[in-house]
Amino acid sequence: MASRQETVTGARAASRPPGRSLLPDRWLPYGMIGPAVFVAFAIAIVPLCYAFWLSLQDWYMLRQPLPKWGGLINYRALLQDTQLWASFGRTWIWTLGTVFVELLLAMPIALLLNRETGIARTASALILLPWVTPFIVLGFGWRFLLDSDVGPIHSFLHLIGIAGDSSVLNDPVLAFATIIFISGWKGTPFLVIALLAALKSIPDELYEAAEVDGAGAWSRFWHVTVPSIQNTVVTVGLVLGILAFYSFDLPWIMTKGGPQDATTIVGIAMYKAVFLDLRPAYAAAISIVMLVLLFIASMFALRARRID
Amino acid sequence: MRRTSPLREAGLDLLTLVVLFLLLVPILWVFVASVRPETDITGGGLWPQRLTFVHYEAILAKKPFLIALKNSLIVGIVVAIITTALALPAAYALSRFRFHGRTFFGLLVLGTQMLPSLAVLVPLVVIVRQLGLTNTLTALIFTHLALGMPIAVWMLKGYIDAIPKELEEAAMIDGCSRVGALTRIVIPLIRPAIIAVGTFAFVLSWGEYLMALALISKADVKTLPLALQGLFDPYSFSWGQVMAGGTIIALPAILLFLIFRKQLVGGLLAGGVKG
Repeated sequence: MASRQETVTGARAASRPPGRSLLPDRWLPYGMIGPAVFVAFAIAIVPLCYAFWLSLQDWYMLRQPLPKWGGLINYRALLQDTQLWASFGRTWIWTLGTVFVELLLAMPIALLLNRETGIARTASALILLPWVTPFIVLGFGWRFLLDSDVGPIHSFLHLIGIAGDSSVLNDPVLAFATIIFISGWKGTPFLVIALLAALKSIPDELYEAAEVDGAGAWSRFWHVTVPSIQNTVVTVGLVLGILAFYSFDLPWIMTKGGPQDATTIVGIAMYKAVFLDLRPAYAAAISIVMLVLLFIASMFALRARRID
Repeated sequence: MRRTSPLREAGLDLLTLVVLFLLLVPILWVFVASVRPETDITGGGLWPQRLTFVHYEAILAKKPFLIALKNSLIVGIVVAIITTALALPAAYALSRFRFHGRTFFGLLVLGTQMLPSLAVLVPLVVIVRQLGLTNTLTALIFTHLALGMPIAVWMLKGYIDAIPKELEEAAMIDGCSRVGALTRIVIPLIRPAIIAVGTFAFVLSWGEYLMALALISKADVKTLPLALQGLFDPYSFSWGQVMAGGTIIALPAILLFLIFRKQLVGGLLAGGVKG
């Protein structure tokens, strides 16, 4: 309240030109941003540091119920955990597969929606539905659609010979491929909207100039459109890739990581390490390794950006 | 894109409708199944012929589902209010002041958004357990603040940036304090954005699954996504009821998002692209 009063007197004096920093303004911004920063610290920074400390503890509920210093014990165990590395391998396939599906679906859709008709505008609003519908609904919805007794999409897949008598979700390879597709389908709208914004910002003159130079439709797409949207694709692709890398909801809701671990990506392995194996310190080590691997991969991905 | 014949546009519009239908049909099917009699779902063909609301009546008569509905409303509303109350002053400070650490604090808040909840799941679960807050809505509310706050700060900052500084300066010369200028000038001008931000925080919390799964196991504090999972009784469950529960979770999210689409899409993109 002191600051309020000072501002009032400061303003009453009115000799100062407006907009210059008044005395209380020096502390006011910290007070205003403080609570938000506190939440960011409490929910992001502190847990990350704590995870690192936790990963160095020896804490296995069944054998060592109270945490004690264990040094690199979890990381050593982690290196020898072939199941975990298999799930890391699956996670890369999952991540790249999801982003691939997203690009494959979003690119033509964005080009299709980049028109000034009423239908195109309405469609670019409605297309967001998969993105805003919670995973829990989509997961159960797709389980219903793929169910071997009642699922209409199962009937279709059965008809064209992809699915046998039981649901694709019971076959290890098909289940993994199907859930990757669903994961890509869910993320597609976000990429479409980002691509639309990038496409709309390309000046018409560029296309006209290319046309004057005799470029055909394909050549205009390749030499004008692609370079203009490349950075958007890389940045949004990276965001979507990070989200996919940290997936848990969809494979957990749909198959609980099964059949036979076929959809156990590392997020699920980590969840199981805490809640089924009761090894929180080991799970913390997994999350630190995830973070490091993701950081390295992101550095490589950002190299694909165009620097003008 | 520029010189196009009406026929070609019409063809592309038709193609757009087909593509849109194919993309949305999985979600539409959930809604449709929720209003079909169980016998039609299991063997009534693709085209719905009879309309019924028995599934909604059935789940709304279930005590665990109603408790979850109440819990989800409490968590969502509290999260929306706190998110907005924290994001608004932060956005104002980032927009209007030049101070030491401004970029750092801004990136810190935005960085929280880039951090998926799975990345902090293990430490948060351990911390919450040690604080004795497992199975409380308090813990869930706190973790849900991370969902919407970063986007809220950046969206509101964008809107405040667009308001001319002179308006506030004029008010301050007339004897208004900084905070007074914020509440009397800025807030009324960006009210739609504030409502959009709160709505968004609510929607994100409403459908959140992972943190709820990890922090909550008791029936009286479960939220809707967990209750929906509970409808999946392996011995006697009804697809119609599961789909009706799914619709109850999905519909507020979808409707609120479509209503505030204009405000939200810009913010989402800014968050995604700037990061």
